Amino acid sequence: MNGLRRYIDKIKPTFSEGGKLAWLQSTFEAFETFLFTPNTVTRRGSHIRDAVDMKRSMITVVIALMPALLFGMWNIGHQWAAGSGQPASFWLCFAFGLVRMLPLIAVSYIVGLAIEFAFAQIRHHEVNEGFLVTGLIIPMIVPVTTPLWQLALAVAFAVVIGKEVFGGTGMNFLNPALVARAFLFFAYPTHMSGDSVWTAAKWWGTDAIAGATPLGEMMGGSIRPTASLLDLFVGTTAGSTCETSAIAILLGALILLGSGIASWRTMLSIFIGGGAMGIVFNLIGANSYMQLPFYYHYVMGGFMFGAVFMATDPVTSAQTNAGKWIYGLLVGMFAVLLRVVNPAYPEGMMLSILLMNCFAPLIDHCVVAVNIGRRKKRWKEAQK
Amino acid sequence: MVEKIKIHKGLDIPLGGAAEFRVTDRRDIALYGIMPDDFVGFTPRLEVHEGDHVMCGQPLMSDKNNPRIRLTSPVCGTVKEVRRGERRAIIAVVVEKDEVQQPWKCDTESLKTREGLIEAMTDCGLWAMMRQRPFGSIANPDDKPRDIFISLFDTAPLAACPERAINVSCLNGANKGQWLEAGLNALSKLTDGKVHVCFSCQQSAVSGQLADNIIFHEVSGPHPAGNIGTQIAAIAPINKGEKVWTMNRQDVAILGRLASTGEYRPERWVAVTGPAAAHPQYYHITAGASLNELLKGQISSEVYPRLEVRSQQAAVSRQRAAGSGTRVISGNVLSGRAVGVDGFVGAYDSQVTLIEEGDCYDFMGWLMPGLRKHSFSRTFLSGMLPFKIQNSKFTVQNWHFNTNLHGGERPLVFSGDFERVFPFDIYPTQLIKAAIVGDIDLMEQLGIYEVEPEDFALCEYIDPSKTDIQSIIREALEKCRKDS
Repeated sequence: MNGLRRYIDKIKPTFSEGGKLAWLQSTFEAFETFLFTPNTVTRRGSHIRDAVDMKRSMITVVIALMPALLFGMWNIGHQWAAGSGQPASFWLCFAFGLVRMLPLIAVSYIVGLAIEFAFAQIRHHEVNEGFLVTGLIIPMIVPVTTPLWQLALAVAFAVVIGKEVFGGTGMNFLNPALVARAFLFFAYPTHMSGDSVWTAAKWWGTDAIAGATPLGEMMGGSIRPTASLLDLFVGTTAGSTCETSAIAILLGALILLGSGIASWRTMLSIFIGGGAMGIVFNLIGANSYMQLPFYYHYVMGGFMFGAVFMATDPVTSAQTNAGKWIYGLLVGMFAVLLRVVNPAYPEGMMLSILLMNCFAPLIDHCVVAVNIGRRKKRWKEAQK
Repeated sequence: MVEKIKIHKGLDIPLGGAAEFRVTDRRDIALYGIMPDDFVGFTPRLEVHEGDHVMCGQPLMSDKNNPRIRLTSPVCGTVKEVRRGERRAIIAVVVEKDEVQQPWKCDTESLKTREGLIEAMTDCGLWAMMRQRPFGSIANPDDKPRDIFISLFDTAPLAACPERAINVSCLNGANKGQWLEAGLNALSKLTDGKVHVCFSCQQSAVSGQLADNIIFHEVSGPHPAGNIGTQIAAIAPINKGEKVWTMNRQDVAILGRLASTGEYRPERWVAVTGPAAAHPQYYHITAGASLNELLKGQISSEVYPRLEVRSQQAAVSRQRAAGSGTRVISGNVLSGRAVGVDGFVGAYDSQVTLIEEGDCYDFMGWLMPGLRKHSFSRTFLSGMLPFKIQNSKFTVQNWHFNTNLHGGERPLVFSGDFERVFPFDIYPTQLIKAAIVGDIDLMEQLGIYEVEPEDFALCEYIDPSKTDIQSIIREALEKCRKDS
């Protein structure tokens, strides 16, 4: 390590102000701090600081995403094997998924990080770690057959319009990964919501095997999805690459809640909201979709993934504790409402979270207004 | 009747190096310094020149805005130096002590009235220890406060242990707590409201003849339960336009001594603490004592085995000046001031903390398990292992603290954790945002008058984006103060 440190100290002046490669300063810093937590000491305020930083928070989320990612890879192969009718071993399924997933992840990271580095350089600040998570989530929530150029375009759109125009990580009001998903959804609807996009037919390319997702079946008027509740829970069904397995996502949720990175309030209230809406529909029972037992909503489509990994994003969700409850309840309710009542889109989670992202500041404003009102009242009473 | 208050939110940071209960008399220290920066809102006007002879209680500086507020010499001696910094701002006025000492004295008869007491306090300089909330500046002697709040204990990392705090506040020659009672009785004359006294559940309440408007509260819970701001918020929050006064417990005892004997002796006990202190213990000193003399033999340069890679430069500078790798903080590690070994014990501080400078690199710190790193989040392995196995026995986790920032500064990302260490009916996130943009109206609505920077110290500690929140709040308060 000492040798590496000495080498970095040696080449550092080249990238510092006045050096030959000063225009790459942010990039150099990103790599330097990646290797070594900097030796900066506190100057003002508290003399000791918590060991956690943005890199640590982000890597914890990436670790939490791993079960879903690994299961998703296997499932891509599993769907391919089931769809094409040929038997495949566990490792063949996994290899197939790996080969399909890696290009998506690589494109997402390369395009996104290139833009992030460029913006950091222009603005002369350090590269933000937020994209480590966003860049992994985007390929996890798109259909496996998404053409790479579409993905690249969506990532670029999400990073520039979804984040950087507002000033970068921490300033955006929409979840960037969902912006990418929404971009694809509205720009290339046939590639996103058609029947034959969910299962890859070959080791490469956009050819797909026809077949509906559980949500697609329900939209089509089925009484129950073909897959059993257990299959839905385990996740051996068609869908976006890594959203299908409730059990893998719950493992991630355990990591997020255990480490204290994500808010349990948001997560829990989404499940309560979604369940409540489902129960209301069960009571109405006007059509087969409404009669679907409410707990099916938890395990179908992207509900679980959205509740655990997307709605809990601290930047775009509500920030007050009371606000988190309201925000979560509404996300869950709208997701189920959109699924059941809206005839155009089978999945409601993405739009529901984006909608509530827009309303989160308003929710917080109302919660804070109550506090302000309480303080004013106390002041008035004191004046008497 | 004692009211019980339980504080639920907060965090006790498991910093090592608590002071052993052993008191060494160090009133023999030769140099004393008064640092005007300790006093919020104080604009110094120099009252002495280098070489002047001063008596104990004789003004060294006075406030340009209010000449009644003075900073006085804690000892009889000669003005040795007026230490100046950038743009000739006064850093400290240094007094060298005489062989023979005389306390400041006045007639006890005149101290019976409110006016007489205030007159004596401003004369001898004890008044500078009376702070007002909001803003944390020295109280204006012409004001009448709504209430006075006194905290008899401190929960900051390594602060004097609560069960000893009352003992610590009584000085040699007095019965346990005698002057504290006299001080509280004197304070009760200064307000028409109440004197709220908060003590910890591990202490015994002060007994004796106490005035009617003195009320006791038993406060328990993690830090910041001992902070006066937390206690005010729990008992009677400050509204816009209101002023309350506070004083540190040791200064109450000094006031008690003044009120009962007419003598002003600014002597207190100070705890030298911290992981880098060789022999953490208590000292009996006169206010403003030189740290250089006090800390002789205390700074141990190598406390921890080195786990991290040090940069060459840091290693070289370490060899050049042994001990320069230790930060000397007057006050606690969360909200104290780094004064350096040439500095003096701060006016409001009863604790000196020594901690290792963290100017070292940490290889892939964001990825490593982090067995000895402390974090409020549970993102490090240490968070899951409160104990560690050593020699096949469970021992308490051996945390490693230094002054490293542990990461780079980032735009604020609010994770909702601030609310878990901030026991106020205030939304810290929103208040910090309002403070950053400097919107005075919004800050007022969100409760800026109820807080001090130290109340945000834990938020600053746990913040993953490494923002200097205490400075933001200090600047915001200054803005409000100038505006009002």
